[in-house]
Amino acid sequence: MNTLDLILQKTTTLPPYPVVVQKVLHLVDDPKSSAEDLVGVIQYDQALTAQILRVCNSAYFGLRRPIHSIREALVRIGFNQLLEIIMSYGSAYLFSRAYQGYDLAEGDLWRHSVASALLSQIISKHVNQEKTTVQFTAALLHDIGKIMLNEHVKENFPEIQKLVHEKNYSFIEAERAVLGTDHAEVGGKISEKWQFPQVLAFGIQYHHSPFLAPSDQELVSLIYLCDVIAMMTGFGGGADGLAYHGQKKIMKQHGLTAKDVEQIISQLEDRLHQVESLLNMGTG
Amino acid sequence: MKIVVGMADMRVTNDPESTLITYALGSCIGISLYDPTVKVGGLLHFMLPESQIDLEKAQRNPWMFADTGIPLFFREMYKLGGDKKRIKVKVAGGAQVMDAEGYFNIGKRNCMALRKILWKNNVFIHAEVVGGNVNRTVRLELSSGEVWVKTSGEEERLI
Repeated sequence: MNTLDLILQKTTTLPPYPVVVQKVLHLVDDPKSSAEDLVGVIQYDQALTAQILRVCNSAYFGLRRPIHSIREALVRIGFNQLLEIIMSYGSAYLFSRAYQGYDLAEGDLWRHSVASALLSQIISKHVNQEKTTVQFTAALLHDIGKIMLNEHVKENFPEIQKLVHEKNYSFIEAERAVLGTDHAEVGGKISEKWQFPQVLAFGIQYHHSPFLAPSDQELVSLIYLCDVIAMMTGFGGGADGLAYHGQKKIMKQHGLTAKDVEQIISQLEDRLHQVESLLNMGTG
Repeated sequence: MKIVVGMADMRVTNDPESTLITYALGSCIGISLYDPTVKVGGLLHFMLPESQIDLEKAQRNPWMFADTGIPLFFREMYKLGGDKKRIKVKVAGGAQVMDAEGYFNIGKRNCMALRKILWKNNVFIHAEVVGGNVNRTVRLELSSGEVWVKTSGEEERLI
């Protein structure tokens, strides 16, 4: 049996994605979803409610008066931001663990995910696009395949590293050459299995090859940029480091120059305190 | 005591018990300065080559940029008794993605900016581990002045 099938078979033994997150994911994707739907999903989950309020009242939003209820949060912070907090909360526990196959210490992958998600907002603003919750979520979850591929990368690391160091393979090319699959494909397939909305599954599966995405290429290429810029900035880089291809075509597609990339990095640094608020979810 | 130097941050110390460390240098650069006579050392983690892309930002946090951070870093060393003629400069970071030319080569431009500033001020680099496609962590031991570089997926080594 090949690695991909092995992993997909084993997902039954993986911790399931929290039910509340699965429900919220579909609200993210549904233009008709409303604040009432959101309240309906979370109102009975006290731990989640407490966590949401904690983030609402953290430095992330810098509010003067504290928020005491979900309904109040909806009014003062807004529907989309609340969705983003819930997505972050629901993902933190899985992404915060150490993944030794990729030489990622505890918190490293989560740091990379959060930085990518914030970059999705910074970049869309920079290119005058509307920022969306779908972008935020896809950027947050884009490396989910690393979580499942971790053990296999660990077992075959010398071989993968050799291809990267000696044959000039990108890390993902080396994963594919050695394991017959790669973290992007695994992430995409797992997302389908978990019934994530299709646009998210594509954002995850094609984040290193946006032009192969069957649809939503603009979103997918934005996720590519978030990932690459987060890597460059050093957020949560592991053994794969920066061994991925820089694709000029995508920069051109978004009308970005080298100076734009510098400005984007500078803006990300401004929001580090926000990153910290989200990062603490992993430990809190 | 371990002192962590964050992104776009700098620390100097003369406490011989301490270790300065900065994590996760991708395209960013970590510079270690150490004066062995007075045992004063520091670590700067800068992110971008030139402050002109955001002057207001450079005012608020000069450590973000090579051109504002490096000169100030030397001045902080002098305040603790460091002497330019004795200071040993060691550098790590400045990595980039593959096929980076033009758009993604901040690592290279960070290195160039650093070299230009040091060259203009007649300062030599004593050791460096720069470029490539890897992440690095840099650690300066104040007691010995040793600088250790850890590349993700490899053992830590002395430079």
